[in-house]
Amino acid sequence: MPEILINGQKFEAEAGQTVLEAARAAGIFVPTFCWHPQLSTAGNCRMCLVEVEGRGLDIACNMPVSAGMRVLTDSPEVRAHRRAILQFITLNHPVDCGICDKAGECSLQDYHYAYNGEASISAEPKVRSTKYYNLSSRILLDNERCILCLRCTRFTHEISKSMALGVESRGDVSVIRPVADRPLGDDPYSDNIVDLCPVGALQSRQFLHKTRVWYLEPTPSVCPGCARGCSVNIWHRKPEWHVKTLDPAQNQSIARVTPLENPAVNGPWICNKGRDLARIFERRRATEPMLQGSPVALETALERARELIGAARHPLALVSNWGSNEELDAFQRSLGAVFTAYVKSDSVPQPGERLEDELLIRADKNPNSAAARALYADAPARLPEGTDLVLVWGEGCDFGALPRGARLIFLNAYLAPENGHADVFLPTSVQTERDGHYTNFQGVISGFHACFAKPSGALDAEALFRSLAAPARVHA
Amino acid sequence: MKSLLKEFEALRARFPAGFESSLVLPCLRRIQEERGYVADGDIEELAAFLGVPAIQVEEVLSFYTQFRRRPVGRWHLQVCRNVSCSMRGAEGLVGHLERRLGVAPGATTPDGRFTLSTVECLGSCGTAPALMLNDRYVENLTPESVDALLQELD
Repeated sequence: MPEILINGQKFEAEAGQTVLEAARAAGIFVPTFCWHPQLSTAGNCRMCLVEVEGRGLDIACNMPVSAGMRVLTDSPEVRAHRRAILQFITLNHPVDCGICDKAGECSLQDYHYAYNGEASISAEPKVRSTKYYNLSSRILLDNERCILCLRCTRFTHEISKSMALGVESRGDVSVIRPVADRPLGDDPYSDNIVDLCPVGALQSRQFLHKTRVWYLEPTPSVCPGCARGCSVNIWHRKPEWHVKTLDPAQNQSIARVTPLENPAVNGPWICNKGRDLARIFERRRATEPMLQGSPVALETALERARELIGAARHPLALVSNWGSNEELDAFQRSLGAVFTAYVKSDSVPQPGERLEDELLIRADKNPNSAAARALYADAPARLPEGTDLVLVWGEGCDFGALPRGARLIFLNAYLAPENGHADVFLPTSVQTERDGHYTNFQGVISGFHACFAKPSGALDAEALFRSLAAPARVHA
Repeated sequence: MKSLLKEFEALRARFPAGFESSLVLPCLRRIQEERGYVADGDIEELAAFLGVPAIQVEEVLSFYTQFRRRPVGRWHLQVCRNVSCSMRGAEGLVGHLERRLGVAPGATTPDGRFTLSTVECLGSCGTAPALMLNDRYVENLTPESVDALLQELD
């Protein structure tokens, strides 16, 4: 364990660490553009320059620690060089922060204000390059904003292994370019490069000019796209920035989804499916309880459901593997003794979707199969004959395969033709409207939080199960 | 490229496994020596042979100005355009050569005798301005010495 001095303070560094890693571990911030903890060291941005007493200036990201080393991260010399580096980095950068989606969360902007603050001293015309370059159906590239840190190319070579990006030419006319035979659109992890980009060069088409990031706040959540259960941030408008004059649906919609770093599950990455959670949660919602297609008051629907449960001899339940641990627990406590319950898969792989890989994506496209299977077995292909009541919780049910003549209680969050066929239909909330936990395939439990209000009429399944368990009133 | 495969195999044996991308540069150089330039088809073939993505070959080709993507004339004049040579008058020399040959940098004279190029540093700053005539250095250039040089070439 070499002991090193950083800014006069003694720290125990680990052998093999770089000065940058040692400084970060000690809580000392060293600015970086090209360095990323999960990528190889490129050492091209020069932003992490530090001074080693007796050895001069060098980049901290590529400097191994050695015993007795005396490092200065904020000496006048270092500050002067950082200012110079920022002058070089902004030499051909358009500084169009006013129309750039990255503004507000941009390393270049932050470092400029923190370490430079001066206008460009160059009088040379800036090099013009391509803007809105089409990298894929999801990502646009602005080569003028690009500072050539090569995080994106390294990501596609080292993490997603799609090898979809490279650098063409040299010097100030270098450009990031896609590879003709390996389209970035085929890389299911491509959107991570938008987060990785330390400037606004890589832009998400979904998010392009949609909103300024300072109007948004993140709510920690869990991606329900597969059994990995990646931790994500769901970004939505801050309450104080709710729009009043424009479409108020904006206040209740997902602006974007980004990874929430979780070393136990997904590290700093998520796949593109996780970026598209709005496609799942913002489908049209069911908000009215119904009896065989006729809207009724909630209490009427609940009462009818209780009657059916009370009258059934062989009730069977198909439990959702999109239910949270809390909801599954509520079902088991309230109705577990009444129903013979099986686990139903709400979601199956879609055509063209990557089934499984070694990075994150799992073949089971449901978030809580592990917790559901801990309670119940998977539904058999043929449900037992003689079943006279089926409670279906969530999507993905093959209604044609249900036992003939059985009554149906259906809990679903979305508008679907089947809703109207159920004897009792009850609308439920979705993940973004409640708190809860999922257990992923490794047994890791991750929590999600509510960020939107439930639409009026929708109910949490947890509360529904409790009220269904109350005894039916006896009719005189 | 086919004729070089045996040579490339021998070259590959000298590198540890997993370092295929290190072979891009020497292989491209041999291709250029044989053909005079690197053709589009060579990129695909070399990428397939080495098992590296084609972009890695493209990156190397576009980085080094010494690689040519098209055939050149009998005499290839590569004039350095970097700092030392520029300060010693290289820009004027390029203009002089353009007028003498009647072609812009990157082009070949219609008779196929001369190709004029501007290139990055030739590592000859001590004798700037310098150019490469095919594989030979010509140094301490002046418009007069360039004229004399052109006189010698057929």
